[in-house]
Amino acid sequence: MDIIRFIQYIASGTAYTLGVTFVALPSGLILGLILAIIYVYGGKIAARTLSVYSTIMRGIPPIVLLFILYFIMSGTINLSPFWAGSISLGVISSAYQMEIIRGAILSVSGGQMIAALAIGMSRLQAIRYIVLPQTLRLAIPPWSNEAAIVIKDSSLVYALGVPEILRRAQLISASTQQPFLAYTTAALIYFGLVLFTNTLLRRLENRLRIPANP
Amino acid sequence: MKKVSVALMLMFLVASALVACASPEADSVLDKIQEAGTVVVGTSADYPPYEYVDESGNFAGFDIELMTEIAKRMDVELEWTDMPFDSLIAAVQEGKIDMSISCFNYSEERDEKVDFSDAYYTSEDAFLVAEDFAGTITNAEDVANFKIGVQSGTVQDEWVTTELIDAGLMEESNLSRYERVDQAAMDLQAGRIEVIVADSVPAQALMGQFGGFKIVFEDMLYTGPINIVLPEGDSELQERVNSIIAELQSEGFIDDLAVKYFSD
Amino acid sequence: MTNKILTIKNLTKIYGDNIVFQNIDLSINEGDTVVIIGPSGTGKSTLLRCINLLTKPNGGQIWLDDEEITSKEVNEDNVRQHIGMVFQNFLLFNHLTALENVKLGLIKVKKLDKTAAEAKAFQELERVGLVDRAHHFPGQLSGGQQQRVAIARALAMDPRIMLFDEPTSALDPELIGEVLEVMRKLSLAGMTMLVVTHEMGFAREVADRIVFMEKGSIVEEGSPEDLFNRPKFQRTREFLWKITELYGKKEQEE
Ligand SMILES: Nc1ncnc2c1ncn2[C@@H]1O[C@H](COP(=O)(O)OP(=O)(O)OP(=O)(O)O)[C@@H](O)[C@H]1O
Ligand SMILES: [Mg+2]
Repeated sequence: MDIIRFIQYIASGTAYTLGVTFVALPSGLILGLILAIIYVYGGKIAARTLSVYSTIMRGIPPIVLLFILYFIMSGTINLSPFWAGSISLGVISSAYQMEIIRGAILSVSGGQMIAALAIGMSRLQAIRYIVLPQTLRLAIPPWSNEAAIVIKDSSLVYALGVPEILRRAQLISASTQQPFLAYTTAALIYFGLVLFTNTLLRRLENRLRIPANP
Repeated sequence: MKKVSVALMLMFLVASALVACASPEADSVLDKIQEAGTVVVGTSADYPPYEYVDESGNFAGFDIELMTEIAKRMDVELEWTDMPFDSLIAAVQEGKIDMSISCFNYSEERDEKVDFSDAYYTSEDAFLVAEDFAGTITNAEDVANFKIGVQSGTVQDEWVTTELIDAGLMEESNLSRYERVDQAAMDLQAGRIEVIVADSVPAQALMGQFGGFKIVFEDMLYTGPINIVLPEGDSELQERVNSIIAELQSEGFIDDLAVKYFSD
Repeated sequence: MTNKILTIKNLTKIYGDNIVFQNIDLSINEGDTVVIIGPSGTGKSTLLRCINLLTKPNGGQIWLDDEEITSKEVNEDNVRQHIGMVFQNFLLFNHLTALENVKLGLIKVKKLDKTAAEAKAFQELERVGLVDRAHHFPGQLSGGQQQRVAIARALAMDPRIMLFDEPTSALDPELIGEVLEVMRKLSLAGMTMLVVTHEMGFAREVADRIVFMEKGSIVEEGSPEDLFNRPKFQRTREFLWKITELYGKKEQEE
């Protein structure tokens, strides 16, 4: 097999990698954001429940959740490997993203909320217009870490036979006996994806940076 | 806020209830296959020459071609699902695929979860070593004195684990389990392991591809025959597959395939 | 006949077993500026937070005009927009420009349309002399400028009364003057104000009444004239002596 076809074969798995990432990361963000707000502002019972949720979801290896969703629950919901993988990663990522956003909310000074209430805003308005815009800015750097992790973890769907980058590298490595080339190619593609995402997020961070005197 | 936590509790309850009532349905998979006009077959396409990806990215190999013929005789379309070897049994068990062909040997452990077709081919196991290997192996158990590599989850893995490690003949630390056999070959080349215990056909293939290896022992360690993995307790499907295998054997189709894939 | 804007009766606040203050009575007439002085930890900030419903008192009542705002039926958000509050550490919204800081409440709380809100916001910035800084972010403003924007933000809501909690304590000495000047003008223009401060010069000049609080209760109150020159209590005298000593020295060092 010539080298171009070899690389093309592996690279064509990128669509699955991106697909899983594009489902898992945004759904984890939306869920994580909502849960973080409930965690911080929702009272003690909600906070305790969510802390349990966070511990479980961060403690469970993604592959285990993947297998539970795909194999064990298959009698009730028949998910395709792609969806089982995307949902598992999204749910796990929601716990990490909840912690990221919760940390960011807590590092926005409590005074901001008080000042917003003092001009007659409701708590919801204060969260929406004052706390969150500052929170999300603070959350970008740790969030770009999480994005890199999800991109790489998306390779787990290979265990269900989704022909993403890593599985393709394995297959072609087995048939050509060129593991070094196969895995280097896979690594470079992941590296490129992570680099691209991080650069994009760093630009966003700079663009949204609140101006201040040095 | 109480509402929120109640909602979360409900979600946990529903989730566990879903897990609890998940049970396979009773209809024969054969009916389902014929109704759909398609048989979904799982394989782990990283085990040449049985199953691998060819230059145009399609599945190829001994098992692949055999299954293609079986599907043709069942008069249904064939749909391949590639999965890591370790996931295949679970996938058959949970009905994610209709059956699996991936150089499976019979084992009791597996038989508890799934059924096997009659053997369609009988393979031997081989001990693959570097050309300058100086040790002597007269009985199969002698291999316990060396650092061994196997593909994890294979019958060879099971043989080394039960017959050598559990029997106290060797330390578990002397066994390296690889996800794929070519990784083992790289370590053999690098001297990190001394012997690969593998199916003799892929062992011969590795010898050709890597160079600098030789086979010092060849025998049927376990039951050598390879079978198609079928859903548990589905005798209709099992009979259908078995009769086609018998046909293909008597027609010489399988022998021809063996020559095509295993002769070099 | 003067109109009482704020009336406080029997107000008590307790944190755990710490009685911050007990049975406080206080009322403020429309257009008056009342200054509260007293040592640290006496509950001055807590009192202001209770008035603004940011903290719930354990007992007592507060009326704003004729409405009892401590009653259970009131909409707290609604009450707060009629009470302006200026904090020691400014608390501008960090991600918004000066103009946006003033404008936000007008749009989200008063539901003004964008043009009306912007016009009103500029008007308030004009009042504190910061129109030229409208598009600066808090991080680009001096402390004094930030505090003036904070005052403009509170004024924009057209409050019935303005509460100031040590508005100059966090400022460098050379920036205190500009903030006090804004407050002085505001008082002259007839705004009703309740000010917690250690700035005795301001209190003497601007206050209609001075309230001396200590250890959770009001020790004495009266006109600046009476309080500074003829304090009734030894405690008041000692506090005033200490504070002039402290701030007097600071002024000499400049
Ligand atoms: N959220 C709170 N929880 C518990 N105790 C509090 C809380 N806020 C204030 N206190 C206590 O209430 C008392 C009064 O505090 P407060 O801030 O009102 O005093 P202050 O007169 O404003 O003092 P300063 O001049 O230092 O600002 C202090 O003993 C303080 O520790
Ligand atoms: Mg205070």
